[in-house]
Amino acid sequence: MGGQHGFGSLQIESGEPPFHHEWEARVFALNRFMLRSGRYTLDEFRAAVESMPPAEYLAASYYERWLHGIERLVREKGVLDVRPG
Amino acid sequence: MFALGDRVRTRIANPAGHTRLPRYLSGRAGRVDAVLGTLPYPDRRAEGIVSARETAYTVRFENADVWGPDGEPRGSICADLFESYLEPLEEQ
Amino acid sequence: MSHVHDGAHESSHESSAGAANRVKTLVAALEAANVLTERELDETVESFLAHAQPANGARVVARAWVDDAFRERLLADGNAAVAELGIDLAHWAPVRLRVVANGPGRHNLIVCTLCSCYPLALLGPSPTWYKSDAYRSRAVRDPRGILAEFGTHVDAGVEITVWDSTAEVRYLVLPERPAGTESLSETELEALVTRNGLIGTALV
Repeated sequence: MGGQHGFGSLQIESGEPPFHHEWEARVFALNRFMLRSGRYTLDEFRAAVESMPPAEYLAASYYERWLHGIERLVREKGVLDVRPG
Repeated sequence: MFALGDRVRTRIANPAGHTRLPRYLSGRAGRVDAVLGTLPYPDRRAEGIVSARETAYTVRFENADVWGPDGEPRGSICADLFESYLEPLEEQ
Repeated sequence: MSHVHDGAHESSHESSAGAANRVKTLVAALEAANVLTERELDETVESFLAHAQPANGARVVARAWVDDAFRERLLADGNAAVAELGIDLAHWAPVRLRVVANGPGRHNLIVCTLCSCYPLALLGPSPTWYKSDAYRSRAVRDPRGILAEFGTHVDAGVEITVWDSTAEVRYLVLPERPAGTESLSETELEALVTRNGLIGTALV
């Protein structure tokens, strides 16, 4: 979105909390965990986030976009599949 | 392979998949500001080819060459771009 | 967790509640499949907040201000120089650090227009504005306008370089040492360094 017009002025918060809700911290941790355990790469994660339909992407918050990417990769990679043995 | 100071132009492209060439820098002329060596290549890694690597460069673009009259008039933008994104540009 | 606060955020109330439910469902499914535990997720957040500290960036800058040889090493090879101070950049992912120095007539600003790449180990958790569409879209086109929104004025003659972090290189701005700080100790100088100064949206 580099250069695009119309996103308005910055919203600079006081205190700047890293997470605004418990679920955002969980999403951050889920992604870290998946990356570090080799379930997917950072590039696959970025591609999964970017695969959101543009209208949904723009309407979603930062960590909602991440959640979309994680859910998609968990499905695609069969992370929930039962493994034999 | 490019060297420090080489003039380059980014490829004109609009891939459906993942790339780290920002749209706003497609088809723009710049100059190699640093040679980064070989880095993981995102366009292929996003497709599951985990071992993909490619030479990358920091390329400096003058603002006027990116935005014409519609950006900050002075100064420049630097981005880290892969060999596949670039083609040589003759000195004028 | 004490790092979670109420306040301004991007998501609407309804979509946030929906996301909270989706996360709960996903975590429960991952636990049931023996992929991870809630405890591991909590530890991941705790470890992140413990390692990612803006004080690390301040230490690097203060050292560069008092030690010219360190400054040279820092600008030549960021990873090796911060390792001298015991800072492990690769805690999360193997990234290369490039430090860019402000100087007379020269200012630097960091952005990631494609996602939100950021030197977490040196700057701590990134602020919401850094990850916002407004910053990502405008920093490359109108850096002076962005600086003005932070109340930061750079003279018209100063050239701004905007660094768009499009690969696994992370950027850190080395601000100019403020005038009149000759008598300050390294520790006192560290206290002057702000997180925004290291992104380039403030002067120190």
